[in-house]
Amino acid sequence: MARRKETPVSKAPAVPQEPFWRRNRREITFLVLFVVLLGGGFTLVSVNWINDHAIEPFTAGIARLSGFILNLLGQQVTMRGTIISSPHFAVNIRNGCNGIEAMLIFLAAVLAFPARWRSRLAGLALGILAIQVVNLIRVVALFLTGVYFPKIFDTSHTVIWQTIVILSGVLLWIYWANRFARPGEPAA
Amino acid sequence: MASARGNWAARLVRNVLLALLPVWLVWSLLTPAYNRFLLVSARNLVRLTESPSVTELPRRDEHFAYVQRLDFPPAKSLVHSFRVTDLHFHFVLLGALFLGVPGIPWRVRLANFGWACLVTVFFDIFLLFFYVKFVYATQLGAWSLAHYGAFARNFWGLGKHLLDLPFKLGLPLLLWAGFYARMLLDPAA
Repeated sequence: MARRKETPVSKAPAVPQEPFWRRNRREITFLVLFVVLLGGGFTLVSVNWINDHAIEPFTAGIARLSGFILNLLGQQVTMRGTIISSPHFAVNIRNGCNGIEAMLIFLAAVLAFPARWRSRLAGLALGILAIQVVNLIRVVALFLTGVYFPKIFDTSHTVIWQTIVILSGVLLWIYWANRFARPGEPAA
Repeated sequence: MASARGNWAARLVRNVLLALLPVWLVWSLLTPAYNRFLLVSARNLVRLTESPSVTELPRRDEHFAYVQRLDFPPAKSLVHSFRVTDLHFHFVLLGALFLGVPGIPWRVRLANFGWACLVTVFFDIFLLFFYVKFVYATQLGAWSLAHYGAFARNFWGLGKHLLDLPFKLGLPLLLWAGFYARMLLDPAA
């Protein structure tokens, strides 16, 4: 029986592997910071005083702007606080429809990601503006859906547009983090 | 380098947008079965915290269900109606994000998506559990006041608020970042 000639395998000196949390320190830091900022941000906006003095006036502003656009589109709407109404349909813009959720998710992700403050501030300013533009389109589109296609209003309201607005925030963050954040550079 | 980065991000955005419709279709088809699964799982979880077992979560139709207590008078037994489908539409976002990552073999993408789905299923059961407790603690008027103190009402209320808004909506991004944040933090890798 022929014996197979075995070639000695040179073993590299064993390098002690770093523990999981150390190897993934940056990822874990980002995820923990993101969760803390997200939870903190939403807890903050759920405080009655902040809701009444900041969120409600902000939402009323969205209602006024949406109403203005709807009037340009010939809908003859009137605005009262956060309510937009016409002879055919009315909506009350509430938390969940004012873009605050997408803004807070975007804000938490941008602040948790390692980047220069200048990049962060520019990203926040442009990102929040873009999210609010998408949200404005949502409010106007939903009102028109309620007027012309009332049967699909519920699905459109909770599933379709909610997904689109959140997705816009998520994609904007990924784009910003990939293109502009430069995490390799030291944070200013 | 910056151009390669930009290309990756642009491809990701394009892929996610392309994946959105197919993922939404699959999610729509699976929703009735998933709603049934969620209701049974959450009911069993709620029943672990009560004695005797009085909670029922019967379906009204494909999308809506009731929170029902068997110890309530028959006329008031269907105490609260809610849309189950609203609890889990984040699957659409999750699917589009996980399937749209460029530069990753499909097998790896699907495996990662599978793990993310598993976490999301547990999250959804937990969210529905919190929702039922929130209904009991804050939505049943005098009954809620008689059975839940101020701390409990705030605990279940804030818990439901945080799970139902930030974490339900932020979960897809959180899970995506858990698997792929390295690609953003260390583009060379």
